[in-house]
Amino acid sequence: MSIQNLIINLQKFWADQGCYLAQPYDLEVGAGTMTPDTFFRVLDKRFWKVAYVQPARRPTDGRYGENPHRVQKHFQYQVIIKPSPSDIQQIYIKSLISLGISLEDHDLRFDEDDWESPTIGAWGVGWQVLLDGLEITQFTYFQQAGGIDLSPVPVEITYGLERLEMFLEGKDNIYDLDWSSDTLYRDLRLREEKEFSEYNFNQASIEIIQKSFILSEKEASRLIQRNLLLPAYDLCLKCSHYFNILDSRGAISVTERVKMIARIRALVTQIAQKYTAKEASL
Amino acid sequence: MEFLLEINTEEIPPSHVKTALEQLREKFEAELTSSEIAVRELRTFGTCRRLVVVGDLAEGQRDREEVIVGPPKAVAFAPDGSPSKAAYGFAKAQAVEVERLEVIKTEKGEYLGLKKIKKGKPTQEILQKSIPQIILSLSFPKMMRWGEGAIRFSRPIRNILCLFGEKLLPFSVEGITSADSTTGHKLHFPQKIKTKSFREYREALREKKVVIEEEERRKMILAQMETKLAPLKEEVHPDLELVERLVYDLEYPYVFLGSFPEEYLRLPLEVLSTAMREGQKLFSVVRDRKQLPYFLGVADNYRDPKSLIQKGNERVLRARLVDAQFFWEQDLKFSFKQMAPGLRRIIFQEKLGSYEDKAQRLKKIVAYLCDKIEAGKIKKEAIQAAELCKVDLLTGMVREFPSLQGKIGGLYARDKGYPVIVSQAIYEHYQPIGLEDESPSSLAGAVLSMADKIDSIVGILGVGIQLTGSSDPFGLRRNALGICKIILDKKLCLSLSRFLDKALAIYGEKVEKPKEEIKCFCLDFFSSRLRYIYEKKGYRYDLINAALGAGIDNIYYSFLRVKALDALKTSAQFEPLILIAKRVNNILRDQPAYKINADLFLEKEERELFSTFSIIEDNVCPMISKGDFSQAQKFIFRIQSSLNNFFDRILVMAEEKRLRQNRLALLQAIKKLLFQIADYSQIVVEGEK
Repeated sequence: MSIQNLIINLQKFWADQGCYLAQPYDLEVGAGTMTPDTFFRVLDKRFWKVAYVQPARRPTDGRYGENPHRVQKHFQYQVIIKPSPSDIQQIYIKSLISLGISLEDHDLRFDEDDWESPTIGAWGVGWQVLLDGLEITQFTYFQQAGGIDLSPVPVEITYGLERLEMFLEGKDNIYDLDWSSDTLYRDLRLREEKEFSEYNFNQASIEIIQKSFILSEKEASRLIQRNLLLPAYDLCLKCSHYFNILDSRGAISVTERVKMIARIRALVTQIAQKYTAKEASL
Repeated sequence: MEFLLEINTEEIPPSHVKTALEQLREKFEAELTSSEIAVRELRTFGTCRRLVVVGDLAEGQRDREEVIVGPPKAVAFAPDGSPSKAAYGFAKAQAVEVERLEVIKTEKGEYLGLKKIKKGKPTQEILQKSIPQIILSLSFPKMMRWGEGAIRFSRPIRNILCLFGEKLLPFSVEGITSADSTTGHKLHFPQKIKTKSFREYREALREKKVVIEEEERRKMILAQMETKLAPLKEEVHPDLELVERLVYDLEYPYVFLGSFPEEYLRLPLEVLSTAMREGQKLFSVVRDRKQLPYFLGVADNYRDPKSLIQKGNERVLRARLVDAQFFWEQDLKFSFKQMAPGLRRIIFQEKLGSYEDKAQRLKKIVAYLCDKIEAGKIKKEAIQAAELCKVDLLTGMVREFPSLQGKIGGLYARDKGYPVIVSQAIYEHYQPIGLEDESPSSLAGAVLSMADKIDSIVGILGVGIQLTGSSDPFGLRRNALGICKIILDKKLCLSLSRFLDKALAIYGEKVEKPKEEIKCFCLDFFSSRLRYIYEKKGYRYDLINAALGAGIDNIYYSFLRVKALDALKTSAQFEPLILIAKRVNNILRDQPAYKINADLFLEKEERELFSTFSIIEDNVCPMISKGDFSQAQKFIFRIQSSLNNFFDRILVMAEEKRLRQNRLALLQAIKKLLFQIADYSQIVVEGEK
């Protein structure tokens, strides 16, 4: 099964579960969790079911296309269901079976792994799901986002598409994966990995990125005052991405790291509070 | 009657399963005791997906006689002996005829009252109320909510099976209704299984690939490991901590043997075993401390006929080894000298500066320690190790496997041809990580480890970071414990107080709090770590108090003191010696210090005591300074008869001031000498009780 068939299968499976199929968000994010279809939608009391592919960028994971498993951009399949259904674990297991995996011949483990994203003030309790030792999914009951206790509690299922595909194809090198029947992951992604690794590690202008961080931060702050919360949040995402690039350029010390994360979190927390207050008054 | 409860959950972390089972047991026992339900048996079982309680309980509470006290007898009867208004009122309130009332004798006098037989409640009724409370009261290190409910638990509860006397015991906990069914293994048998009894339940589950007994799963793992290794003719040395984790991590264990390409055997054993243990939780297969190209894994399944599980794990492990190999080669491209400046960028603590600053301090502390413990021979190498020991924080390998910090530095140093003393000191300088862990085997490693730890302790406390019961972000308790353990293991003699002074002095102005204050706190801090160590070793608490009471400036001596006291405790001298010490202590309470004037000893008994004491002191002092407290105690005991004569014949509190003060001064000198061995007043002896 190619990656695109894997995606088609998951789309079908989760659509049948009543999920709305969203499209990827058009900004750089480190994880599907950070996109508005997750971040804002988990904050309020309304029920919500969504599934979508989301490219995730982690500049420090870049390896110039030379490492068979690590890339600075990978694809996640993100599912959010609020409130978490009582049979969600079995539903998830069925989603794997629907991909043609005969699970009774494998070892499927839910291994304690609580998830946390300090940048957006979010954390949850759950597992990394291991299939024969390979981490294929992060399975999390979201407890807080933007510093706010979530109720009802959403469940977040994040499949690592490349990992899952490596399992399905039994391949050891990410670039050997089939994207479609006649297109390899290598054809689509290798050049991008090389160029972005060079950019992230060596070429990105520290000065320009630092300035961009400060400008986006200011703008986010201004927009929060105007109650334009979604645009303000976009600017926080930009801050987060600039932060990641500075990190991969080795331009952030440990203390600065904590401070910069705290700066973004402060903005995101304000956004979350205003957003829920608005929701409550609707 | 048989009672069976199974709380079925999504995967609970192994450590949570253990605490949940302990709590369930305690809480059920407490509940059944307080509701007076006879328990013939109560057992618990657990896996990552179910917490089970099985019991044999009485059908109900015993019937009880209940006495309701009414008005006093004097008020309850009219002068003619007939019941008064008050008596009728009481009877009415109790809804009985007045004839049923009787006179009841109490401690306060005689009253009119009513004796009733209170029928015991059925166990079922009591359990229905208490089980939901017990479930909701379980606490876990980290708790969560799920769905729309308000329950907090370790992980979501998905089903509750509860039977009493082969029947469903109905109740509900926040929307979850109890059932008479459960489910089997999540992959092999997620369908409902109805059951009536524990036996049936256990057998059905076994068939549906769930082994509920942890002991049984442990046995299965160990036996299968042995079978798998038999063809390799290897002995099994499984990492027992990992076995323990796995026992609670799955419902049906299947052990598989896998292999990896021999080319990765070039990687050090430490890297290989860490790559296996972390993540996939695999066991490395080792012969004579040499890694073989095999591993053992434990799957939650009952078979692997197509070797898919084995092959999958081999692939994942190979990917990790490729990474490790990559880091190993990358890291070795740089010399320590090239990497070292990078330490400036890594902050140890905001106010205390970078790891480069730390390395500079460590060089000085290490030099001081080498002088103090007469380790001049290794001084040069120890200082070099101090300079280099943190460089591995900059390597890809430590970023990938943080638990290998120190070890990686040591391995790289060895590879780069540094002297063995240097590379070994770097390798060992985080040890011991706990009381169970080994101290550094080399002296240079011990010195460097102590330096690193004391530097963290005084620095972190010095900038005012508080330790609380749960919060110890820099692991200071573990650090202090480590220093104590090294000193005891290596039998090192040095002054803790001066060691602290030195570490503080090296920080200079960076430490904000007054140095004396930090030092006092540290001494207390170390004292409580030592107490912990001695308690773990099984010494009596009062002996520990007596030993610590004599001071901990020389940590190794404090241990020799406990040992000497412990050895003495069974001897005939023990009790008399302590009573002597206590008697001296008592008489001296609240007295200022006086000086001995040998010319003022007039009576025979006091002259004799003084001369005995002088001889004893001359003999005992060298023993004490050598740390031979056993010998010192025995010798000091020779004072007994002179001292008894003294107390029998001499009036210490003489009228004459100068005589009185001189006698007190003699006793003070004795007390002082005793106190150098132990604070005997802390010891509890039979004679006092």
